[in-house]
This record gives sequence, C-alpha cells and structure tokens, in this order.
Amino acid sequence: MKYTPRQPGSNVNVTPTSPLREFFLLTAGLLGMVIVIYMVLGLAMDLIVPRISTDLENRIGGLFIGSIEAKDSDSKRGSYVRSLLEDLQDRCARLPYLFKVHIRQSPTVNAVALPGGHIIVYTGLLDKVASENELAFVLAHEMGHFAHRDHLRGMGRAFVFITISTLLLGTDSSISKMLAHGLNITEMSFSRKQETRADEFALETLHCDYGHVAGATDFFEKISKAEDPGKFGHYLASHPESRKRISHLENIIRSRGFKLGKPKPLPQTWRQLKE
Amino acid sequence: MNNLLFFMTLIAIGYVVGTLAEKRHYRSIHEREKKFLYLPAVTIKTVTHPDKKIASAELVCGSAVISIDYFKRFLASLRNIFGGTVKSYESLIDRARREALIRMKEMAGDATVIVNVRIETSTIGRNANKKGVGCLEAIAYGTAVTLEK
Repeated sequence: MKYTPRQPGSNVNVTPTSPLREFFLLTAGLLGMVIVIYMVLGLAMDLIVPRISTDLENRIGGLFIGSIEAKDSDSKRGSYVRSLLEDLQDRCARLPYLFKVHIRQSPTVNAVALPGGHIIVYTGLLDKVASENELAFVLAHEMGHFAHRDHLRGMGRAFVFITISTLLLGTDSSISKMLAHGLNITEMSFSRKQETRADEFALETLHCDYGHVAGATDFFEKISKAEDPGKFGHYLASHPESRKRISHLENIIRSRGFKLGKPKPLPQTWRQLKE
Repeated sequence: MNNLLFFMTLIAIGYVVGTLAEKRHYRSIHEREKKFLYLPAVTIKTVTHPDKKIASAELVCGSAVISIDYFKRFLASLRNIFGGTVKSYESLIDRARREALIRMKEMAGDATVIVNVRIETSTIGRNANKKGVGCLEAIAYGTAVTLEK
C-alpha cells in the first residue's frame, strides 16, 4: 500500500454553520417560550382570581403575615386607624373580610392591600394626612382594591403558583412558604383602570359615611404639589398620574352632585400619638 | 438593564474576538499541516521493517489547550435547553486535536513515521471556575520511528 500525503479537502468534524444565525434562532425560541408561559399564566390568573374563596385567600394571606406582623409598630395611631376602618366597613363598605391593619415604620407615603384582608399603612402616610376624611379616603381606596380583588392580581403571575401550591400542599409546606417568601408583596403594581375603580369605590364610601366628599382629593393634591419627588416616588410609581386622578374624581363629584363639606379634623392627640 | 448591557457586551466581544482568533488559528493550522505532510502519523501499532533498519523509536507528544469564548458558551447553554448538536463547540475540539497533532509532529523532528498515534481530550479549569468557562485540552501521542538511510 502506498502512502500518499495530502490534506483533507473538507472538514467533516465541524458543521459549516453560521453561529450568529443559530444564536438568533435559539434566542428567539427561548423568548417565544417565555412569552407563551407569561401569557398562559396571565390567562390562568383571570381564571383563578374570581374563583378564590375568602377562606383560601385567608390561608394564602397567612403565608405572608408572619414577616409583616413582626414589623408592626405605632400601636396608638394604629388603633385609631383600625377603628376608622371598622366604622367604614360597618356603615358603608360591607366586604366579606376581617380587615387587619398593620402599621409599618417607613417614610413611604403609601398603604398596601394584601391577601386575607391585611392592610399595611406606612407611618409616612400617617405623618402626611391632615384630616380624618383624607385618611378615610386612602383606607377606602385600599378596601376598593379588596372589593375588586385587585390585590390578588397585583401580586403578579407568581400568584398562580402560590395558589396551586397552597391548594395541593397546604400552607405548612416548605414549598408554599418559599414561593411566598420570594414574592415582594409590598411592591405590587396596579393598572390605571384598577386604580380608577378603587378611587371610585373610595369616593362612594366616603360620601356614604360622611354625607360629603371633603378630603377626597387632598391626598393627591399633596402629592402633585410635592417638590421632593424622591419622597413620594413610591406612591407615584404605583399610583401614577395623580393630576388625572384628581380631575377624574372632581368630574364624578360634579356629575353625581356630591357635596363638599367641612373635613373632620384628626383627634387632638394625633401629633402626640406619634411617639 | 445595566446587567443586560454588560452581558450583551461580553457576548459581542466574545463573538468578534473569538471569530477572529479562530480564523487566524485555522490559517496557521492549514499552513503547518501542509508543512508536515511529509511525516505520516498513523494508528497502526508498528512498522514492518526489520529491527536493524530502525535507527530510533521514541515517544512524542503534543498538547494544546483551547479556551471557550463567551459567545460560544452562551450558544452552548441555549443548546442545553433545546438539545441538538452543540455546533459551537465542534470547532474548538477540532482545533485542539489538530493543533496537538501538529505539535506532536514538531516534536518528532525528522522521524520517518509516527506510529500508534492516540488522541485524548480532557477539560481543565472547570472546577476552578464554577461559571463553566472551561478550557479544552487535547493531547496527541505516538511513537516516532526513524529508519536507517
């Protein structure tokens, strides 16, 4: 046999391919998968939320509450807020929830609705309010989120997983706890439509309870006038366009013929209660 | 967002630099393979010549270490999701094997033939770097036989 030295004409071990084409194809495939999962979860969300019973919601809420109750503070102002909320619920906003108010020490000017009837009120908000009506409006706004079950949707698509794991494994399961832990519940996002509906609910409640709607727009006026955007950044981020919301509320007040009465002041001891 | 930008920059750098380096390496491989065409490297175990005709027989080996670039690694991790041939790694292994063979021939010098050639590959540096940017080593070894003139 004769040995003829030669170089191989083509390389069979390397596939002739364009790596960039493969890169874009695979990335597009991955992106497609993510989009499909996202959409399926969105559909599942719409399917699940109206069917969740208050009982199941309380159980899901129980998953978060441990970490929230640990941060409760300011019991004096808290009990005032609690009684105000109970009055609103008894007289006007009859919702099937046993509301529980948690006061949290934070400069954030905000309140958050959580599953199971838990409402977190930040001390930043308590420091800013000037009248009982104004506080009542913010509380009623959060109750509006409960009435429309926005607080469940607001938790985002991870809520689907939490519901399924709570149903299948119960609240004591480490998986449910891990899922709940991974979710940043205090940073919920609501759509503009959800906010508008909650505003309308709050306005109705305010009118029903006080007979007039003084203080309804005070809170947003304050925010839009605020010079320091950092301080109100959080509230503005999750509750956008306070100017538009003020004019929407004013439109309803005008068309429904709601009266603007004299706002009820906060208790004399409010400033002292702070300590 | 910043993270994504950083990541995309790494991928772009990986692609540009990696492609240039690979092209240059292949050019050099082609040239040197041509240069060493006179020296056959075969897998048969021995030559048929009588012992007294053989001047020397010695172990020769060549090894090459090639690192993966960021782009290829990303492409391979995408492949890990979808399955299929990991084409981005093929050229790496090909380069490492051919480079190792050429280096082995360089070591053999003016031998007549290299018999019993084996090629082995291994990954190095994978455990040292958990991120998975590994290197690939190919080692080629054989017996260089020089015949009496």
